Amino acid sequence: MKITVRLFGRYKDITNKDTIQLNIGEGNTLGDVIDCFVKQYPATEKDKSRMMMSKNKLYASFDTTIIEGDEITLSPPVVSGG
Amino acid sequence: MSIDRYRRQTLVKELGQKGQELLATKHAIVIGGGGLGSHSANLLVRMGIGGIDIVDNDTVDITNLHRTSLFTQEDLGKSKAFVLQEKLRAINTEVRIRGINQKVTKENIESLVKNADVIVDGTDSMSLRFIINEVSIKYNIPWVYAGVYETVGMVMGILPKKTPCLQCISQNIPESTSGETPVLGSLPAIIASIQCTETIKLLLGKPLAGLLIYDVWKQCFDTMDIKRNPHCPICGIKKHSLARGRII
Ligand SMILES: [Zn+2]
Repeated sequence: MKITVRLFGRYKDITNKDTIQLNIGEGNTLGDVIDCFVKQYPATEKDKSRMMMSKNKLYASFDTTIIEGDEITLSPPVVSGG
Repeated sequence: MSIDRYRRQTLVKELGQKGQELLATKHAIVIGGGGLGSHSANLLVRMGIGGIDIVDNDTVDITNLHRTSLFTQEDLGKSKAFVLQEKLRAINTEVRIRGINQKVTKENIESLVKNADVIVDGTDSMSLRFIINEVSIKYNIPWVYAGVYETVGMVMGILPKKTPCLQCISQNIPESTSGETPVLGSLPAIIASIQCTETIKLLLGKPLAGLLIYDVWKQCFDTMDIKRNPHCPICGIKKHSLARGRII
């Protein structure tokens, strides 16, 4: 199925887009979306285990299953310096 | 309260004279007096907060000067909290200002924040932020998370049980990475400015902007509208036991 992912922060620069469409299989998870995203945009690889994803405006863990029509966002990790 | 001092600010309709007077009744605690904390404390004092505590057990180091506010080379080796106390008192004598040269821990955080109306995050430790988050929810004290890394900063005002807490958005965050965090010198000033504005909005009961992400190099600004996680282990329906360090 085709899903639309809204991007935030530097991911918009890396992809040159505000939203991207990814092709993923039925029953896939947010983790699979990340795998697919990183494969297409290797510059994001270093964030892979710490990316922040939301599904329908709720932050969600990587094992969350998604279905067609879900509103997905992907943003860089929460930053920790002060 | 000196009218002249805030005259230009009270002309701003979002704040007004009423907001200024309300701000003067509020007390903030800034945890961490580094890049974010020094700028945020500086702004809050100049803008007319009623009282402020700044907690940091570190000393001013040459590596701090590129991104901090108020510190000078003459302050090297001195307590950050005490230097900020002294300099901020010289800026605004109408504000009750206290520097606390102490490390913030799970054990002492409750006594430090109990009289605060808001907690301002100036720490560089993710684990301390989760302690702040937990105590904020437990005692219903709003706090404003802010972080900086390279050229990107994030800010999120957190109104306990009303807006998402740090844990709500942190399901995929591992422990802090060790080593020095790269930070462009111009970043903390602007992120602290956003943080200070969200802090004042919280204190005045105004709606918050959600999670803000700003890249000072790309000049790219995003706000994310997010909801609380109903299953959040910290701000969900379960009770808390901070002393025991676990959820009950
Ligand atoms: Zn929460």
